[in-house]
Amino acid sequence: MSARNHIRESAGDHAFNLAVLIFLILFGVVMAVPMIAELAVSLSSKIASQTGTIGLVPVGFTFASWEFMLRNAGLWRSLGISAASTALVVVISLLINAMMAYPLSKRNFAPVKVLMLVVVFTMIFKAPTIPYFLTLRGYGLYNSFWAMVVPQVISAYNLLVMRSFFQSFPAEIEEAAEIDGCGKFRMFFRIVLPSSKAVIATVGLFYGVGAWNQYATPLMMIQDTALFPLQLKIHQLVNAASGDIAAAVKVSTANYTNDTLGAAAVIFSMVPVLLIYPFVQKYFAKGAMLGSVKG
Amino acid sequence: MKKLSSRILGLLLALVMMTAGMSLATAETAESYPDIEYWFTNEGFLPVEIGGAYYNLTKETIGVGVYMPYVDWNGGQTYREQLALRVAANDTPDIFIYNNGIENGLILDGAALDLTDYLPEYMPHVWESVPASVWETVRANDPTGQGRIWTIPDVTTFTRHGAYIRTDWLDAVGMKMPATQEEFVEVLRAFKEKDPNGNGAADEIPAGGRAEARWMDYLFAMYGIAMYEGYPEWDVYNGEITYSAVTPNMKDALAFVSGLYREGLLDPETLLNSGADWSGKFDSNTVGVYYHIPWVAYQRLQGIYDYTAGAVKAQVANLPQISAEGYEGFITVKPTGNSGKMVSADVAKDEQLMKAAFRVLDCQYNMEYRDLEYGVEGMHYEVVDGKKVKLPEDKATQELLILQTPGCQVENVDVITSRLEAVRTEENSWQIDESIALLNGNQADGRVIAADGMPSTVYDGYEDIQNRTLYVEYISKIITGEYDLDKFDEFVDRWYKNGGEAVTERVRAWYAGKQ
Repeated sequence: MSARNHIRESAGDHAFNLAVLIFLILFGVVMAVPMIAELAVSLSSKIASQTGTIGLVPVGFTFASWEFMLRNAGLWRSLGISAASTALVVVISLLINAMMAYPLSKRNFAPVKVLMLVVVFTMIFKAPTIPYFLTLRGYGLYNSFWAMVVPQVISAYNLLVMRSFFQSFPAEIEEAAEIDGCGKFRMFFRIVLPSSKAVIATVGLFYGVGAWNQYATPLMMIQDTALFPLQLKIHQLVNAASGDIAAAVKVSTANYTNDTLGAAAVIFSMVPVLLIYPFVQKYFAKGAMLGSVKG
Repeated sequence: MKKLSSRILGLLLALVMMTAGMSLATAETAESYPDIEYWFTNEGFLPVEIGGAYYNLTKETIGVGVYMPYVDWNGGQTYREQLALRVAANDTPDIFIYNNGIENGLILDGAALDLTDYLPEYMPHVWESVPASVWETVRANDPTGQGRIWTIPDVTTFTRHGAYIRTDWLDAVGMKMPATQEEFVEVLRAFKEKDPNGNGAADEIPAGGRAEARWMDYLFAMYGIAMYEGYPEWDVYNGEITYSAVTPNMKDALAFVSGLYREGLLDPETLLNSGADWSGKFDSNTVGVYYHIPWVAYQRLQGIYDYTAGAVKAQVANLPQISAEGYEGFITVKPTGNSGKMVSADVAKDEQLMKAAFRVLDCQYNMEYRDLEYGVEGMHYEVVDGKKVKLPEDKATQELLILQTPGCQVENVDVITSRLEAVRTEENSWQIDESIALLNGNQADGRVIAADGMPSTVYDGYEDIQNRTLYVEYISKIITGEYDLDKFDEFVDRWYKNGGEAVTERVRAWYAGKQ
């Protein structure tokens, strides 16, 4: 097998690769353990959860928590809301992002400096909570589905990533197209965008994960439980744990606790991301390096 | 044919007009109130929406529809943030609860309604249910310094906390209820060594508590230390109001507690336990003495029952108030809560809205409406043999009970007893009996401390003192033996130098004003 390699691995390389492999395996284990532990909690009984005896294996195996969760109509509704808002954010963001990043990547576009200053300004200075809330509320976004879309549409960081990519786009290709009589819009949509799949996938993933996980803005803007995105819904379920000094009288015959429910909810919210990630990953590995070397 | 149809039409029209007239008439006789948005603690229940089941119940029962959007409580933090946003947007909820000192800022910002002149006339039940001494404290705490009443504090007029002991374990080791500190320690030793749970393993934890040396107040209370759920309190020592953690009492208490710890009579994980950890240990039939709110003991007894698959019906009784030599032990009682209700200043713009808000509050203190506590039939309770029985708590299907009349307004033995009776079933009857016995068993041990009703603003600028940063560090290390007991003097010195002096000055000024 090794004969196929043009450059033979030296003993040093071999040791290095082995070390990397071991490190990555350990790293993977460290990442996987909390997930496995959560999965175990979600599949354990109420008594096991209350007495804290659960490790990496479920104790008193039961699907009670999952049954409760999956029967919760609100959860599925929230899943739908999160999916819809994420899809909208990704599509709208990519379009607007690309359309803004492209001109900003052109040095001969006069207002670049001023515009860039404005963009970078938003990276450094964040609006304080209350003015931000009042502004969004003023736009009519209070208790509105669009509160989960509009504020997410453009992020300065992602814009800069895309701009760097476009800056390294070969000018020769654009010149050739121009000589052939290609207009600016046609150039953008027909030449530049189709060759930018890597950056689109990367930035799309950034926006997608951001929108999927968004929490602070919906928490602030959405009080109507029918509009709760998944993360808020999950927080509602997890946080439903009453303190023991709460005056509320409680008796429950259910075989789950807020801990086991919370664990099930956490796993539930991770699954969609876990399913999508492998498909975008190949672009992502490539895309993360994009724009790092500039001409 | 045409004639007939027009007659029918005419008849119908007349009917419609009559019913319309009737409904108008009923609306005029009973005063009609606008709806009230009422923000309360919600730890995961469904929101109360206009037109929903609970809204309709309040509308029918007291004539005012009460609603609340879903606002996550999250230990009060998210609630306070959300409230601040609504206040900033000039959209303050009509009635809302406060805690953690936010009331002062709201009062000074003009967000709260001055209730002083309205209470006797529009809220007589509130006015009379809350003890006059508590109203005096509220007036003394007015941040505008005018002695006005802006808040209706939650009131607890009974001894809420206490320790209880497994009497079935006492029987198992053949000992009687301890009355002195020596006897108490002997009992703990017997619990540890004589396998009272009878499972053959030395897994017994005689006593313990939680992280930050919390929820083991009774061990400190033996030395006359004022302490509330693990928070040292201010009380009169040597003739002056003083932080109980920096008194000689505390040093003696620490000598005792660290001795218990070193002997293995306290849970080795005492200073690591979360609430769930510690109650879980009790539920797994391994803990002998437990400090908590005794009347909720039935939940713990159910825990042990479940854990042992029905084999153990645990017996518990109040641990008598034990005093260390030279000290007088007591349980800290604070009638004036740090939380309560406020009314938005904006309701004054609409007289009917203001009356509606007052009516809601007054009904909460009116025993006539105490059945509101049961909630909605079919959702929160069912009727069994003509008696209302609460259904198991289910956050997925039950709307929030906003008006928990009158339970959480003024808590006393009667109110708690009726609350316990509401959850009594055939299966848990023995647990409810034990809980009621515990509730009544230690009422004489409580004493109202001097700092009752003290506003948390005395800590402004000294958050480390309020958060007990130094206290927790030293106390934990002294208990575990990492520090010698002599380090306590260093703690007292550092505490005073790092803000304790200034806070003590403020507290003494406040106390002088209260008296």
